[in-house]
Amino acid sequence: MGQTTVLVGNPNVGKSVLFKNLTRRYVTVSNYPGTTVEVVRAKAAFDGREVEVVDTPGVNDLAPRSDEARVTRRLLDETAGATIVQVADAKNLRRALLLTLQLAELERPTVLVLNMYDELEERGRQIDIARLSEILGIPVVATVAPRNQGTQELIDALPLAAVPTVPDEVARAPGDEYGRNRVLLGYANEILSQTYTVARPPNPSARVRLGLMAMHPVKGVGVLAVVLFAVFWFVGLFGAGTLVDLLEVGVFEQRLNPLVIRATDVVLPFPHAHETEALTYSFGLPATPVHEVTVGSVEREVVRPSYVLDPGVDLSAVQEALRFVHDFLVGPYGAVTMALAYAFAIVLPIVTAFFLVFSILEDSGYFPRMAIMLNRVFRVMGLNGKAVLPMILGLGCDTMATMTTRILETRKERIVTTMLLALAVPCSAQLGVLLALMASLAPAGALVWLGLVVGVIFLVGWLTARVIGGESSDFILEIPPMRRPQLSNVLVKTASRLDWYLREVIPLFVVGTAILFLLDKLHLLSAIAQAAEPLVTGWLGLPKEMANAFLVGFMRRDFGAVYILDAATGPAAVLTPHQILVAMVTITLFMPCIANFLMIAKEHGMRTAVSMAAFIFPFAFFVGGVIHRLGVWLSI
Amino acid sequence: MAEYLTCPFCGFEFLREDTLCEHGCPLGAMCGLVRCPNCQYEYPEKPQSLTWLQRVFRRPSPYTDLPAHVITVQELKPGERARVLCLGTGGPQRHNSLAVFGLVPGAEIALVQHHPSPVIQVEETELALDPAIAREVLVERVEPVAPPPQ
Repeated sequence: MGQTTVLVGNPNVGKSVLFKNLTRRYVTVSNYPGTTVEVVRAKAAFDGREVEVVDTPGVNDLAPRSDEARVTRRLLDETAGATIVQVADAKNLRRALLLTLQLAELERPTVLVLNMYDELEERGRQIDIARLSEILGIPVVATVAPRNQGTQELIDALPLAAVPTVPDEVARAPGDEYGRNRVLLGYANEILSQTYTVARPPNPSARVRLGLMAMHPVKGVGVLAVVLFAVFWFVGLFGAGTLVDLLEVGVFEQRLNPLVIRATDVVLPFPHAHETEALTYSFGLPATPVHEVTVGSVEREVVRPSYVLDPGVDLSAVQEALRFVHDFLVGPYGAVTMALAYAFAIVLPIVTAFFLVFSILEDSGYFPRMAIMLNRVFRVMGLNGKAVLPMILGLGCDTMATMTTRILETRKERIVTTMLLALAVPCSAQLGVLLALMASLAPAGALVWLGLVVGVIFLVGWLTARVIGGESSDFILEIPPMRRPQLSNVLVKTASRLDWYLREVIPLFVVGTAILFLLDKLHLLSAIAQAAEPLVTGWLGLPKEMANAFLVGFMRRDFGAVYILDAATGPAAVLTPHQILVAMVTITLFMPCIANFLMIAKEHGMRTAVSMAAFIFPFAFFVGGVIHRLGVWLSI
Repeated sequence: MAEYLTCPFCGFEFLREDTLCEHGCPLGAMCGLVRCPNCQYEYPEKPQSLTWLQRVFRRPSPYTDLPAHVITVQELKPGERARVLCLGTGGPQRHNSLAVFGLVPGAEIALVQHHPSPVIQVEETELALDPAIAREVLVERVEPVAPPPQ
């Protein structure tokens, strides 16, 4: 009886949901293959026995061809005494049995779990579980993991785990990998013929029809348009409009900032007077990109962070020190008035809205269908449809997506995708801010931005593929069935992503603001703006204060984007639509954040990361400048 | 270089220089047809070249001289069922990556769609493939099995 239990199985069969049921520890779960790319371990107590449970990336084959298969294979070699729990999609028993027969060669105690048993029954199929258990000589348990059905039965079956029995002529079949797999599949067919029955041909349900529609050459484009519009409405208009207004104006500027400023003034007194103004907050729901249905509004007299010193008073050294701390907390570059306001009031509502819709789409199984739509197009860049998945995940977080490039098979595909993620795929935080910026532009401006980003993706993708060289792999992608997303999983997933986001982002925002604050205090900020003037004003045609945006953009490009948003739509708007577009394009093409850079270094080595950065930043400024010049030349 | 042409109508073999085309036909070089000296049937000398549209969107199958019932996945119509005969060229590595999804000779598949990418159904697995793979996998059509009476 092993003290370790390893969950193994084909991709997208629900290992991670089962893992959660066994250990009550959440790991990301979605409806497409390749969600888990790393081994996850947790302790669990089964009827008083302490057991370590290990979740592994899905494999179709034990041959260590792809990275995930290598990870799983190595883990199996390391945990020699472990019980193997093979999780199978009950609908695809043949493929699962191929893996069972391969696992049998390891001669470990094994339990076979037939997950998604409800979907099997829905399709009018049946499996004779007792007979299957008898043939294989191992316990077989049926489960429906999302509803936590069968978990206890699995725990009860663990002590009964046995080494699968396979006839000698199958186990000792000679030949290469493919030849042996054919023998194993032949034996799997024999087992199936004794255990698997088809009762009636299924009628396509609405979900199946929707799934077919989503990959139809014409209707699929319609579905894509509807999905994109829904995302834009919810994230760009509702999240970046209504929710940001509520938090930024209604909460921070009207209530929290004045409160903190007054409190700071009491604790850190020095003779000065803050400016006040009457600020109106109106709560409204978005109808179209430019119309809002106003529900109600509140006007309050508020205190602003900017202040004037009392005339004729010289500050003592102590007062200067108090003023320094005061400014650090609530000044124009204050930790509360800038860093926390940006992080909580602008970026947080946007990413929350984004993560919500994203999780729903993820769990529905729509994304692999998008891969089908885009496979031929991606061929131009020496990629195939599989690379669509990391790119879409990049819209959530580029750093995470860089990690999922492991599902791609060749080095060329991994590098090209990583490069495109770092260059041109905006992550949720930035995308939301960009959507808000777009709302302040004419629709034509938004289209120019979109066309440009897509153009850059293809141009750079094509060039990178040329420079790197090497093989492209075959496009063979399993399409999961469309499923109704479960509210609880969507909420838990959104919450766990937000938790990660807050830990990751807020320290960086505070550090970035602190750097700006120090530079401002040392009068270096204007010096940098002066030094960057040829680039920012001369080349990009932007006001020289925008140097700040790019400065913080080196740290996180969404921070830079928020800065631009503030300059474009904030109380002291300084940017013309043309300048907004130029600034938007430049910041979009920046590297996402320091974490992304480190992830690239971890996955592909420091040299690759540095050379990508060395290309990306100059290229971003180059494209921005070209747009500026084009705009001037066309006199827009 | 003496080159024999064969009339597709009567099967008569002849040399190109024996045709009218070579001896003062008024259409001259503008004409892409040859006329069989035996039966006077006019036909295009070379098989019609593909238009650029066809060249971009339809690549011919890599096979010639297949028996009539053996077709590629590309030639199946959506909804048709077929049995896999051969996975085509592409080496054991591709064969194996198809085999782990249950796609081996003998497996029964159904074609779901061709565009934007070919999708086939093997058992309960829907599998999206490269068009290049769909052009290589050889299958034979299977008569639809009547559903058992309820």
